[in-house]
Parts: sequence; structure tokens; C-alpha cells
Amino acid sequence: MKVNTLTISTLIIAAVFIVIFALFAVLDISTSKKRKERYRTGATVTSYLMLLPAVLLAFMFVLLPILYSLGYAFTDYYLLEPQNISFVGFDNFKEVFEEIGQGGTLYHALINTLIFVVGVVPLQIGLALLLALFVNKPLKGSKIFKVCFFAPVVISLSVTSMLWRDILSGSETGLLNAFLGLFGAEAHDWLRDPATAMPCIIVLSAWQGCGYQMLIFLSGLTNIRKELYEAAALDGAGAWTQFKLVTWPGLRSTFVYILITVFIGACRISTQPMLLTGYQDHTVTLSYYMYQTGYRDRWVGLSSAVALLMTIVIGTITLIQRRLFREKD
Amino acid sequence: MTNQRYKDLPNFKRNKTPTKKIVEQIIYIIVGTVLSLIFLFPILYMLATSTKSESAFVSSAGTIAMFLPDFANLGDAVKNYANVFTEFGIWRYAINSFIYAGIVIVLNVIINGLAGYVMAKLSFPGKKFLSFMIIFLIVVPVETSIIPLYSIVIIMLGLKKTMTVLGVILPAAISIFNIFLFMQFFSNIPKEYEEAARMDGANTMQVFFKVILPLSKPIVATVAVFCFIGVWNDYLWPSMILPTPSAGQWPLLPIQSVVSSIGSMSELTTSERMAALVVTSVPIFVIYVLAQKYIVQGFGNAGLKM
Repeated sequence: MKVNTLTISTLIIAAVFIVIFALFAVLDISTSKKRKERYRTGATVTSYLMLLPAVLLAFMFVLLPILYSLGYAFTDYYLLEPQNISFVGFDNFKEVFEEIGQGGTLYHALINTLIFVVGVVPLQIGLALLLALFVNKPLKGSKIFKVCFFAPVVISLSVTSMLWRDILSGSETGLLNAFLGLFGAEAHDWLRDPATAMPCIIVLSAWQGCGYQMLIFLSGLTNIRKELYEAAALDGAGAWTQFKLVTWPGLRSTFVYILITVFIGACRISTQPMLLTGYQDHTVTLSYYMYQTGYRDRWVGLSSAVALLMTIVIGTITLIQRRLFREKD
Repeated sequence: MTNQRYKDLPNFKRNKTPTKKIVEQIIYIIVGTVLSLIFLFPILYMLATSTKSESAFVSSAGTIAMFLPDFANLGDAVKNYANVFTEFGIWRYAINSFIYAGIVIVLNVIINGLAGYVMAKLSFPGKKFLSFMIIFLIVVPVETSIIPLYSIVIIMLGLKKTMTVLGVILPAAISIFNIFLFMQFFSNIPKEYEEAARMDGANTMQVFFKVILPLSKPIVATVAVFCFIGVWNDYLWPSMILPTPSAGQWPLLPIQSVVSSIGSMSELTTSERMAALVVTSVPIFVIYVLAQKYIVQGFGNAGLKM
């Protein structure tokens, strides 16, 4: 039974997708004369064949899950009883807003995610830029430093989270407590105290992630022509003016790219609180809430409603960021 | 005018005296070392702890010895690592991860590379729609769809038991973001290379495999390294779909699925846990160091633009 509904709906979605694609293709062909673009049958067939594996996999494992996840938001889908699925309209959304209004777990998830995004985005991007500028200096040792700064990126989140759990542990042997103990401070339970838990997660996320953005900034820096710096220096520009007039404009498109990707990644944070503190009101985030309600508690409908709202919010903010910061060309 | 300016350049460079340069270099090394320690200290802590016995670990707490390996009792180090390998058979999971990563890298480069090539270089009706879909799918958060993905893999594809391995590999073989990376990189390769190959009678597939891919080592290395990191570090999805290992059978789980549960195993000492973490981190680090010179090039030549 459930096999049939899923397969049939998939076939319908596939058909819709093909029709939309065909419409756009026809549109392209009909306007091709105006754009002076000529399509050859042979080249078109080869193109389609070469795209086929990617399109098939992307349809199955990327597009379809997103569409289903959006669709489930309007149903009472319970993972253990897929045959009892029925359409409930906007009930899930009502529940979402009620829970937020009543200050439930979802309210905390929303606030914590906001705190995280506001804290981590500037911190991580700022750190990454500073490190990139540092590593970009033509001095000895820069290559080794680059590898060191990048090291946390390649180490898995589950490993670093475990390490940080030891470092931030509330006992006196916890690394941070032992260190602060040298100065006579008392042991503090960093991850259990609501006031310090989120800041700790922000710092460790920025610490772990910034090496990746450092590399991307670095590739942006290597694309800036050296003559520009030399010309600026000849005109008597100091380090700061050079940065403002040469480096920053040269990094603009890299910066927009980094801002958007870090922002999206930050909104989706779930692993760090999952491994560091578990499901707690003071560290739960939206993604973690979705995982817990949808997979652990199996209320897929409710979880998907949160997902749909989050997608709309993130998508809108991303578009605004693109508009605001994009090069005007 | 400008020429006149550039003639002054040597002078400007000579402004820095040798002593100034040496001082600058020394400060650079000191600052860099301090920064490196900030990024490496958990790793040093992990390495050091993995060599200690439980009592040595407790007694070192709060001192600088926490970051220094215990060379005096090498036996303890050997014991920790031996326990991780024999009692938990961690090497089997490591082999699984290597196999998954290898297959995923090959599929990922070919499938997404082909798509990126077509999007960057060929013209066909419907291209605009597909470019729009690529940006749309990069922007939409993916975690939200892990539950429908689960239903699709388990119910619709009917994957059960050992076949669920396909459920680990196939979704990882497609990456819209990598299509985007390939697309941007390929569009910067001059047309002349392809045209020359076509004059020699190569078809599109041959052009891709014999001309484009060899010219694209930086981006292929970048994609391969991040594929490897992704597969090696993923634990949530594999733990969701793969069967829990039963006694006497070769387990299917990758290494991180096991390591992430090691943290909550009370029968392990801290030192043994750290030894397990070291074992899982080494391969990824080696691969990164080997490929790192290509990665900056890969990003740079792709000229990332959203």
C-alpha cells in the first residue's frame, strides 16, 4: 500500500518535472534565433545523455526529499504508521506558532539558533579573513601555519565535539577548569550553565570551521594583482588604506560567497549541541529539534512544517544578502 | 605616466632594511606558532592522552603534562591502541569507510564532472532551467529532507540489509555543490583545447576524459578530498539506514558511526577513547596534507561567485 502511494506520487512529480523542463526547452528553442544560438540535434542528445546520471540521482536524492519534506508539512505523517497519513491543512503550522508563543522547546530552539547565527557568522568570517591575510604574507612558515589552521576542519565534528566535551567538562580535571584553576578560579560547568553553553558552542564552531573559509579567502587573495598593491604603496597608502582600497574590493565576490555559505551552514547547526549537551532547552537548535521530532519522536508532519518555515526564511535572507552585497556589474 | 611609476618600484622595495625583515620574520613565526597552538591544542591533547594510562592521565590533569605524551611508559600507549584495535575491531569499520569513500569519489567526480562540463561548455535547450535548479538546490537546506530521504531509500528502493550500502553510496555520489564547482572551473578553461581535440576527431566524451579532466587536477583533487572528508566523517545517515552489526558477521557501518558511540561507552577509559579518535583522524589528515597544494588552486581558478 505505502509502496504504491510513494511510487505513484514520485511518478507524478517526475512527470511534472519533465513537463516543466520541456516547456523551458521549447521556450529556449523558440527564442534561439533571436539570441543567435544554434542547437544541433547531435550535441543536444549528447548533452542530455551526459547529464542523465546527475539528473536522475539529483531528482531521487536531492529534489524529491525536499519536495516530500515540504509536502509532509501539511499532513499528520507519523513515521511508524505511514498508511494512516492524511491531509491536515495548516494544523502543523498552528502548532508550531503555538509552541513558539507558549515558550516551549521550539521557542528555545528558535532563540538559540538566532544567537548562534548572530554570534558565529561574524566571528567565523572575521577569523577566516585574518588568518588568510596572515598566511598570505610572503614569509617563511606560512605554509606550515596554513596546514595547522586548517587541521580542525578535516577532523570530524564527532571527534572535535568529544574533545571539547572533555575540555569544557564540569569536573575539576576538565581542561579549561584545570587551566583556570591555576589562577584560582573555581570549577565551572560550561556546558550545563545556560549562560555559557551557547557561547562555548559558538566559539568551538568558529574555531573548527574558519580554516575552510580561510582557504577560500586565500584563493581570493591570490587572484588580486600584485601591481595594485605596489601602485597603492607608491601613492603612499598605509596598510589599512591598502586593505580598504585594494584587498577588500578584490575580495568582494569571495566575501558574498562565504557570507551566504556560512550563514546557511550556521542556520542548520545541529551536530555540536547533539554531541556536546544532548537535547536540552538551553542548547537545542532548530535543526536539532527537527531531527528529534521527526526521526526520534517520529512526528514527521510537525518536523516538516518547521523545515518548510525555515527554508522560506533562509531562502529569503539569502536572496536579500545576494542583492545587498553583489557586485554591481 | 604609469611606466614612470613602476620604475620607482625597486626603490620602494629597498626601503625595508635586512634587520627590519629579520625582525618581521621572527615576529611572524612567534605569532604564527601561538595561533597554531590555539588550533592544534585539542589535537595535541588527544595525541598525548592516547599514550597514557588512566592513572597517568588523571595525575597529569591541570599541568602542562596534559599536552605531552608519556614516553616513559610506552607500554601503556601500545596497550591503548591494541585495545582499540582488538576489542572493538575498529579496523573493520575503517576498511568499510575506505571502500565507501573510494567508490563515492570516483562516482562523484565522473557524474558531477560530466554535468558540470555540459553546463559550462555545451549548449542545449533547457539549460537556463537547469542552471536555476542548481542555484535553488544549493540554497535550500538539505538536512530538513533526511526523513523523506530515509523513506525513499528504505521503502521505495526497497533496500534491505546488505543492499542498504547502496543507500550510503548513491546519495553521496551526487552533489549539486560539486556540479557548481566543476561548472565554474570548466568555464575558465579556454575553448582552444577542446577545439584542437575535436579537430583530431575526438567525441564529446573523449574530450571530457582526455582533455578536460587532465587539465582540471586542482578541482578534481578539491572535490575528491572533500568527498573523502564527507564520507569519512558522516555518521548520522549511515547509522540511520545501515543494520546494526550482528555477531560473527562483517559489519557494514563506517568508522564514525562507531566512534560517535564510543564516547558514551563507559567501559572505555579516556585514554582508549582518545586512541580511537587518533586512529579515525589520521587518514583524513594524511590525505589533506597530500592534496592541500591543489585545494587553494581549485577554489581560486573556479572563481567562486554566487
